[in-house]
Amino acid sequence: MCTGRVDPVIVAEAFKKGLDGLLVVGCHFGECNYVSGNFQAKAKLDMTRRLIKHVGVNEERLSFQQCSSGEGALFAEIVGKFSKTIRELGPIGGDGDRVKAPEIFKKLEAAEAVLAGEKIRWVIGKRTPFIESGNMYGEVFTEHEFNRAIDMIIVEEIEVQEILGKLKEGAQSVKDLAKALSIPSERVFRNITALKRKGMIKLEKVSGRTPIFQLVPQEV
Amino acid sequence: MEDKKVLIVGGGPDGVRAALEKAEDGAMVTILEKFPTLGAERIPRDRLIKPDEAFANPDLDKVRNHSDIKILTYSDLKKVTRENGTVHANILKRSLRIDNTKCNDCKACIKVCPVNMFDDFDEAFSFRTAVDYCNSETSEYNIYKEDMPVCQQACPVNLDIRTYVGLIADGKYLDSLATIRDRLPLPGSIGRVCPHPCETACNRQYLDEAISICFLKRYVADVEINEEIEPVYETPEKKHPEKIAIIGAGPAGLTCAYDLARIGYKHIKIFEALPVPGGYLWVGIPEYRLPKKLLQREVDLISNMGIDIQYNTRIGKDISFEDLKNDYDAVFIGAGCHRGLKLRVPGEDEYEGKGIVDCVTFLRDQALGNPMEAKGKLIVIGGGNAAIDSARVGWRMGFDEVYILYRRTKKEMPANPWEIDAAEHEGVIIQYLAAPVEILGKNGRVSGMKCIKMELGESDESGRRRPVPIEGSEYTIDAETIVPAISQGTDLEFLGEDHGFDINRWNTFEIDEETGATNVPGVFAGGDVVTGPGIAIGAIAAGKKAATGIHKYLRSK
Amino acid sequence: MIYEKEKRYIIPFDDVPSDRAEMPEITVDERRRNFVEVETGFPEEVAVAEAKRCLSCRRCLGCALCWAECKPEAINFDIPDEELDLDFAEIVLTKGQDNSFHPFNSELGYGSYADVITDLQFERMLSPTGPTDGLVVSPLDGEIATRIAIVQGNTDEDETHLLSSLVLGVNESILALDKTEDLEVVLVSPVCQAFKEKFLSDSEKIGGLKIVDGVPESVEKGQKEEPLKVTFSEDGQSKKENFDLVVVLTKPKVSPEIASLSKKLKQEIM
Repeated sequence: MCTGRVDPVIVAEAFKKGLDGLLVVGCHFGECNYVSGNFQAKAKLDMTRRLIKHVGVNEERLSFQQCSSGEGALFAEIVGKFSKTIRELGPIGGDGDRVKAPEIFKKLEAAEAVLAGEKIRWVIGKRTPFIESGNMYGEVFTEHEFNRAIDMIIVEEIEVQEILGKLKEGAQSVKDLAKALSIPSERVFRNITALKRKGMIKLEKVSGRTPIFQLVPQEV
Repeated sequence: MEDKKVLIVGGGPDGVRAALEKAEDGAMVTILEKFPTLGAERIPRDRLIKPDEAFANPDLDKVRNHSDIKILTYSDLKKVTRENGTVHANILKRSLRIDNTKCNDCKACIKVCPVNMFDDFDEAFSFRTAVDYCNSETSEYNIYKEDMPVCQQACPVNLDIRTYVGLIADGKYLDSLATIRDRLPLPGSIGRVCPHPCETACNRQYLDEAISICFLKRYVADVEINEEIEPVYETPEKKHPEKIAIIGAGPAGLTCAYDLARIGYKHIKIFEALPVPGGYLWVGIPEYRLPKKLLQREVDLISNMGIDIQYNTRIGKDISFEDLKNDYDAVFIGAGCHRGLKLRVPGEDEYEGKGIVDCVTFLRDQALGNPMEAKGKLIVIGGGNAAIDSARVGWRMGFDEVYILYRRTKKEMPANPWEIDAAEHEGVIIQYLAAPVEILGKNGRVSGMKCIKMELGESDESGRRRPVPIEGSEYTIDAETIVPAISQGTDLEFLGEDHGFDINRWNTFEIDEETGATNVPGVFAGGDVVTGPGIAIGAIAAGKKAATGIHKYLRSK
Repeated sequence: MIYEKEKRYIIPFDDVPSDRAEMPEITVDERRRNFVEVETGFPEEVAVAEAKRCLSCRRCLGCALCWAECKPEAINFDIPDEELDLDFAEIVLTKGQDNSFHPFNSELGYGSYADVITDLQFERMLSPTGPTDGLVVSPLDGEIATRIAIVQGNTDEDETHLLSSLVLGVNESILALDKTEDLEVVLVSPVCQAFKEKFLSDSEKIGGLKIVDGVPESVEKGQKEEPLKVTFSEDGQSKKENFDLVVVLTKPKVSPEIASLSKKLKQEIM
């Protein structure tokens, strides 16, 4: 299978299921049977590395390397090195990661939702046009600007997906969400009002002095 | 009879009420609001209400549905002039980028938009996305797109900072430099001396500290020099035949020439009174901040475009301004502010040239290689960058002790704070809240200065507290040299008598803000000669504006 | 941490905070009696690291995802801006809806605590089409408020301003009390004579509202979850009380564009 087909969602799902390391080995640049598959793979996996790092997974657990079918020794070296790295890191959610188990799996669930979402998938797909010919306004992006755009989506969307994930378990208040997710309550409040504007959640009831919010089922 | 046309600026409650009143008087009303929606459902501020009366504003519906009221939201009043009782308004109506007649308010767009920003209609209680409906009452959608990032907006020449900094992050230094040069021909010089309004605007300061934009510009300019690359600034094939004269090879003049050459003008000649280029950048900014060699190189790159710079030629002395005007199709005046203003205290005239010398002369003489003798104590008077430069230059020249006297406190000092710190770090002694009273002399030379202590009193028009002398607090400092650096003015004698220019009370040119044109056809002006002493990047912006103005003028002739 | 100043929303990226690169310099001893350049320039790695700090601010990425999602095809990035040249017989300048305000006593905690808001924000909150379903809540934790202090921000201003902002404060109280059960509102202001004469007897009848003739001094709190402690003077005595929402009455400011227009046309702002 072409590395370009490695969907970031699968990567997040694998880590969520307890995988300790994932090594993706693809062809060298310029040798892709489908012209740009390995470039796409690199862009997607770079982004995925930044995302898992953001949620607290050691980004060394995900690696993209290049090697052709004729380079057996190189392949052995790559695999050897990666195995060593993972062995040193230990099991996911342990000492090697900023966020520990079981919390890390909750975070990875939100990461998976981000990666499955349209925002990041669409924008990552725009990488080549943005850098080469420009966006809808003709603004050509530098790599750095593009990475900032992706990071912006990662930082904000993780929070939103964590909130939505929690609300799937049942209606909640701002205070409870903030406590359960360790997100500052004023940010939860802003996100809740924003989601309400978008018609994605609604006020279910007011219990005592606490407004409780619930999900609005979305058409797919 | 045609109905009276009225323009109401502002679509808040006052504007809505005014629009309705005027329309009911029979006028044809246009109401203009910057925001994408009229907003007038407000709580009254002039009477107490019953709960159900709040937010009810029958005026708003009337305005929205009134046949004689035209609503222009999301619009800017770009320019307005009044002439013989008629108001001409140039209005920019921004595109909503959405056909709201087709929109069914399904909110699909705002669910997917990846860009959040504060919802300014709801006073930042929530996030809106780049595509949004703004006011839920009207549900009129728009896509918000900033004109430029805040740094670029703050830059007088609107440098594309986001791109050039991004290119440095990507390791593409020469591409970054090319991006800068697209709007700024002196990147190495400006990257050293600019007080960087862009950094003052930088959004990152709200997280930690602003990006060091100015020094990054210097970095890419240095890369080119270190790699020994000598670029050639390209000029187009097509050439325009008109002759253009530029007075002054300072940042404004050089930039004007650079831009005109890039448009395709072939005959551009710069007349420079001094033996060196750069104007104040050469004779005002000291070598330790901007090496002359580097400035010379940047000027050479510009003159290599086929621009002739004639040095040692003072207009009004070597060539009359009239002749220049007659010989050339257009003239740009970028003569700067090279006259140091006087303190107006007793003793000043008596000892002029005998130990008292204004900062412009002091710095220029040093820069041109004839520094005055550095002996004993030096006192510099003033709080601007020229004062700091004079003091730091004096310290380097070898004066035993260097003082700066400033009549307010450090907080009010107009010089760049980092320059003040550097001067103090080097050992310059700054006396705040002190002002000169009299220049003292002995044997026909300056021997010291009588000063008085000041305190801050009431705020003046500019909002700064006015310094007031403390009675009886006079004291004397011994000094061999005194350099007043209080401000600089223009020297417009070169124009001759009966020149016919509109000159204002600051002795600077009145120009058209958009084109740089003076009231005399074919003559343009920009830089310090228009604004008074300002920053180099401001002069560069003025040079650019004038280049566009000159091109427009010559092509319409 | 509150990532907002002057209504700018700035994304809390992972590389925040980081130090700004410092320009290397030659020593002071190396500078005496020569004109060698003081600043020596960034080394490459410093320059790249500094450039990478850039946030690349861009609002609307121009990605066209909205366009792709819009079923009725209402979105069109090619709709151009329009430039209009129009003539009028008369021009009227009004404040517009910029909603900016003059700075006020920074001790009141606005910008530091999420539960200190302005009268303009409170007005949106009270609106039936506002951001909180019309509930009077604390933006800190979304809980419905039980004790609100409405305090005057620019106490040194003239009577006209004090009067109109006080009327707004009382009106906001009327609405908040109407919407919320078991709510107590305390309005602290150096109530001016004009207000007393015109409105005081009416406002005294509003249940749940207490008007304190005093000057608000400061707002502080210990832990984030704790209530706000408001210090104010009443009858020359300093008092401290707890609240779970503080509303500051602001003084509207004319936008710089309108102000310069007024100056240019030599015409008053209505």
